[in-house]
Amino acid sequence: MSRLHTLMFGWEYPPIHLGGLGVACQGLVRGLMKNGVKVTLVLPHPDADREGDLDILFPTEEMIEHMHIASMLSPYDSAQQYYQRVKNIPRERQQIYGEDLGQAIANYSAASVEMTKDVRPDIVHCHDWMTYEAGVRAARYHRKPLVAHIHATELDRTHFSPNQWIYDRERWGFEQADRIIAVSNYTKQILVSHYGIPAEKITVVHNGNNITRDIDPEAIHSEYRKNHPPMVLFLGRLTLQKGPHQFLEMASAVHGIRPDVEFVVAGDGGMLGELINHSLQLGLQNNIMFAGKVSNDEAQKLFAQADCFVMPSLSEPFGLVALEAIAQGTPVIISKQSGVSEVIGHAFKVDFWDTAKMADCVLTLLREDPLAWQLRSEASRVLDRLTWEHQAMAVRSLYQQILHS
Amino acid sequence: MTPNICFYFQVHQPYRLRDLRITDIGHGSEYFDWQKNHDVFRKVAEKCYLPANALMLELLKKYPEFHVSYSLSGVFLEQCNEYGHDVLDSFKKLAATGKVEFLAETYYHSLSAIHSIPEFCEQVAMHVRKIEDLFGQKPQIFRNTELIFNNEIAHTARMMGFRGTLAEGADHILQGRSPNEPYAPPEFYLPEDKYWNVIRQSFPGVYPPKKILVLLKNYKLSDDVAFRFSDRSWIGFPLRAETFTDWVIGSGGHNINLFMDYETFGEHQWKDTGIFEFLRKLPELWQERGIRALTPSQVLDDWEKKTQGPAEQEHLKKEAASILAALSALWKRPETVQSPLELQEKTFDAHLSISWADTERDLSAWNGNQIQSAALRALYELEKYVKASGNEQLIRTWRLLQSSDHFYYMCTKYWNDGDVHKYFSPYESPYEAYRRFSHALCDLRSRLHL
Repeated sequence: MSRLHTLMFGWEYPPIHLGGLGVACQGLVRGLMKNGVKVTLVLPHPDADREGDLDILFPTEEMIEHMHIASMLSPYDSAQQYYQRVKNIPRERQQIYGEDLGQAIANYSAASVEMTKDVRPDIVHCHDWMTYEAGVRAARYHRKPLVAHIHATELDRTHFSPNQWIYDRERWGFEQADRIIAVSNYTKQILVSHYGIPAEKITVVHNGNNITRDIDPEAIHSEYRKNHPPMVLFLGRLTLQKGPHQFLEMASAVHGIRPDVEFVVAGDGGMLGELINHSLQLGLQNNIMFAGKVSNDEAQKLFAQADCFVMPSLSEPFGLVALEAIAQGTPVIISKQSGVSEVIGHAFKVDFWDTAKMADCVLTLLREDPLAWQLRSEASRVLDRLTWEHQAMAVRSLYQQILHS
Repeated sequence: MTPNICFYFQVHQPYRLRDLRITDIGHGSEYFDWQKNHDVFRKVAEKCYLPANALMLELLKKYPEFHVSYSLSGVFLEQCNEYGHDVLDSFKKLAATGKVEFLAETYYHSLSAIHSIPEFCEQVAMHVRKIEDLFGQKPQIFRNTELIFNNEIAHTARMMGFRGTLAEGADHILQGRSPNEPYAPPEFYLPEDKYWNVIRQSFPGVYPPKKILVLLKNYKLSDDVAFRFSDRSWIGFPLRAETFTDWVIGSGGHNINLFMDYETFGEHQWKDTGIFEFLRKLPELWQERGIRALTPSQVLDDWEKKTQGPAEQEHLKKEAASILAALSALWKRPETVQSPLELQEKTFDAHLSISWADTERDLSAWNGNQIQSAALRALYELEKYVKASGNEQLIRTWRLLQSSDHFYYMCTKYWNDGDVHKYFSPYESPYEAYRRFSHALCDLRSRLHL
């Protein structure tokens, strides 16, 4: 049999990416290539990192303008944020592309199909709702099966108060696809209960990781901690989905018992102002630092310095950040409402609303050195098991299964 | 020679901890989850203890050569008192048949044999008294928590007055020898001050027997029933009583020790697997084929009758030995010919502790990682303060925290990422177990003003 060829529609791709989607997409592409699958990737911008024999297609000059506008459809926008962003665009351009999301998507979709006319794929694979229409059209054009990959649903982003238009686009994509890949059982369950998708149509492939661990976390920890008070870390976009308010509630409970503990909130987002207010109301002003958006290097340092990392997400399809913390040898406390809690065994798992228990886990970790050491020494094994190369193997198997059915 | 069967069932329920919080420390909070403990006890009572005891009673009455033995932990008996008089009564009915032997163990199902000899002695003495009170028989055989065993424990039990003890038939110690006969630990003397003086305090007036014999679990046959009975991927599935009896006879030897958790019947192996029908069938088949099911004490009686013979023939045995020794210089005895000298017990030499847990059969199920070691160390460090307080309530609480289950729940050996469902624990994770336990210890420390 000739080499499997997948035509993939992505939205973001390193180095230009906002969140987990781009990282996951790159990991999967690399993993598939290592598994001998040929990948043709379609992206809305030309600046992606290239490697191997990866073909990257992107819109031609005349389409660029459309694409820039389409890029406003950040998958991480809430409907309200999108509206605010659109409002800042000059009126004349707004009228052309801005408020008409449907038209922007249609432009992207039409261009993407146009670009792939000469490609001869075995299968079409698209990532999240922004690319579903492009995927559906291409699949129809090439008469090939369609795999819809879901990295995050509108319900995750909005805590179950979705923008109806986006929700409908998602559901339409799920219905059109021959097969759906969900990044966790947690996400699969959302598709089944909230989108009415039959469970047997959905395959779970957890995200992989390619986190490098070239430092000795234990050395950093012991060296740093000699001279510093205990530190508890939050790292993520400051949006409803990530549970920053829950983090503050937890911090307040910890502060009541251990006033020496410091808290760092790293990340940027629309909620920064209200979070600062909330922390003041809770009397945390001397113990909390809002670090803003941090670079990758800074994030690694923060992980390494933290005594524990807390991920209180309200609804997290996967949550790669918890694996990044583990890679730096940091004990983690993660929300049960997350996909990553399905793959991490050595951690505390708490319901996002149970901030009292979250605080208790933090306090126990800070009090009990053996517990921190045990978590540190065991947790990182998951990184070796859950590689992208390994996870892409599952995707390749799924391709073959679809093609042979 | 048809082997004897020796059935021993372990019966134990721990007191599980409730979701303690740091904010509970120092406020006189309750440690244990009474509701959960009640619910688990009643569930297991209905599924296992009551139906299994009813069946046992029927079998004991019907088959004269069928005997069984139990070890009921002290904490189990306390739970009977709280949650299940019906269960206790059913055990009393079994005792009344005169065909059931009750073994001695640590009252709190603890690891004290490894961590504190004085505490170990006190708990065994407590348990012996409890069994005498409830069932009117004084235990002659000792079995340690989770079959934890080493040479020191064997001799400590001997000095407590026990004539026999139980252990896992661990391959690395048997070295190819059969587990199906009584063994003896190597002979040596324990330091008087650390052991004998301590033992005497809990067992005043005890007269230690010269030797103690060890009955070894035949783990292959025991686990065929306890673990594999309903395993569809197992080649022996479905296991019929006839087949099992064939295996027993084929295994040979003097006594085949089938040691298992009593919860095997109805709880680990559910009723619909046919485990009760299997058990019901065994005594009948065994009677037909001349196999007796004996208690550990009866096994030892039988063995001693065979090995010792009348005292006046003792000199004949010695002569036979010297003649044989002379002969063997001339004639190489084929391995198939048994020497009369071999009816002496062979040595079962456990320098390091063994147990019946996991494939490792060592202590790593309870003391195999940092949180387990830390919890055990912290708990036994409190011994002198707890005992000096003279506060009965504190001593009891401290002892309830000693149940081996608390440490078992902290085991991370099989806590594979993404493969957590196999884990058997009332808590979500080993870390949750440690969180609750460490809070309880902190509170205990605050009550001791430490």
